[in-house]
Amino acid sequence: MSVVGTLEGASSKPSAAGSIRRRLGPRLYGVLLIAAILLFWEVSSRLGWIVSAYWPPVTKILWAAISQLGGGDILVSLAATLRRALTGYAIGSVLGIALGILLGKSKVLRIALLPLIEIVRPIPTPAVIPPLILFLGVDDALKIFAISLATFFPVFTNTFAGVATVDDTLIQTARTFRTSWARTLLRVVLPATLPAIAAGLRTATSLALVVAVVSEMVAGSSGIGYYLVEMQYALRPDLMYAAVMYLAITGYAVNRLFLVLEARLIPWMGKT
Amino acid sequence: MSERLGFDHVTKIFEAPGSDTGFVAFDDITLEASPSEFLAIVGPSGCGKSTLLKMAAGLMPPTRGRVLLDGKPVFDPPPGVVYLFQQYAKSLFAWRTVIDNVMFPLEAAPRSQRNELREKCRDYLKQVGLSGFEDSYPWQLSGGMQQRVAIARALAADPQVLLLDEPFSAVDALTRMELQSLVLQLWERRKFTAILVTHDVEEAIFLADRVAVLGAKPTALKEIIDVGLPRPRDQLTTREDPRFLKLRHHLTSLLLARNPAHVAAV
Repeated sequence: MSVVGTLEGASSKPSAAGSIRRRLGPRLYGVLLIAAILLFWEVSSRLGWIVSAYWPPVTKILWAAISQLGGGDILVSLAATLRRALTGYAIGSVLGIALGILLGKSKVLRIALLPLIEIVRPIPTPAVIPPLILFLGVDDALKIFAISLATFFPVFTNTFAGVATVDDTLIQTARTFRTSWARTLLRVVLPATLPAIAAGLRTATSLALVVAVVSEMVAGSSGIGYYLVEMQYALRPDLMYAAVMYLAITGYAVNRLFLVLEARLIPWMGKT
Repeated sequence: MSERLGFDHVTKIFEAPGSDTGFVAFDDITLEASPSEFLAIVGPSGCGKSTLLKMAAGLMPPTRGRVLLDGKPVFDPPPGVVYLFQQYAKSLFAWRTVIDNVMFPLEAAPRSQRNELREKCRDYLKQVGLSGFEDSYPWQLSGGMQQRVAIARALAADPQVLLLDEPFSAVDALTRMELQSLVLQLWERRKFTAILVTHDVEEAIFLADRVAVLGAKPTALKEIIDVGLPRPRDQLTTREDPRFLKLRHHLTSLLLARNPAHVAAV
């Protein structure tokens, strides 16, 4: 924060540049670096420093991206990917939260299920896609299953760890008011664990997107992963990079949205 | 509106790893609070006073002996017994507003009664001096105010027995006096049975009808004294009463493990 003060103190009179500086604040240098890299990319392609059909200038990629806005293949593919990612994410999240809380609170379930979860957890999800194709085919069932699996673990792990940190006083308070076990889980343990759950859910968003794209690359005939591979074969690097750009924007937007929702829905985060 | 709560030859032994005998927290404690009595239990820090109260609340079973509520043994938290925790901040629900915290014990009631109960909760908040803070969150309030929320929530549960586990030890001295007076006021109005656990001798004398003194480990009952100070009590005049000072002298020497006989003769 002191950096902002120095920056603002340095500009003696209000100017257009000053106002941009204030708006961007400490992010200014980060944005400048990104702009410099993009400029370098553009120049390197235009001036022939890198001579390659797969190295189009940035402006060409941007143009390809913008031209897609009128209803191009990229947006259709992205929508298909997001639909799968969201479905798998929802399933994996619900299971992760439910099992995280149940295992966190029940010793019997912990003893029964934790070893299984611990042994499956370290397997990188993309590694199980090829064997899964044999059982689930190449369509949505496979992809949604893989995405659920990838989502499940960070959500479960964070929830499970979060339950352990719920203060005993809270549980005892519920007990002295003769609150039932189910109600205590739902009305006390779950909300008390929400900050930890949110951290797991946020981590899982990027994983869901990764596994959605990877699974589409490996199998199937729709989605942005499939589109990327197609454009690679079609020697259309501009569209390939444009698709990557849309993915970057999506990932960034989801993360921002999450932070805003967290602040809105969990205002007590870090306050207790 | 109040009930009798008693410890009948209660012994509590905590299992200690690598030890056959375990750690004896209490040995053979028999003590009873009569209906509408304000009983204080004082003892040195770490003597396990809270454990005694948690057994009374049905949160923890005794190893031997029984906790009796109106003559019936307590196993699980019984209805009408409400516990006021020392760590008020940890006992309030951070995701609920003040009024929703107070509503918590009443939520098993049918939906049709919700509005009426909510009004009641507003009244409880008024009784603890928190009108206007209904929609705040606990973490937006000071420590003393948070404990007031916990007290209002205890009132909402319609306590026959109120268990107070060093409830004022985490607030500043002035706030502590305010909260003590508040609890006394509510107790005089509602006439529940109150059991207070504290290491503050003055607090015990100021609030209670009787004070039970616990000794060092393994904890046993050392003495029970009648306070006998007139009510209503006042933070200034009661504390300046010569009888108050004499009791304080006596109890403090007991806790400091001096010879009480000698002190009593003075």
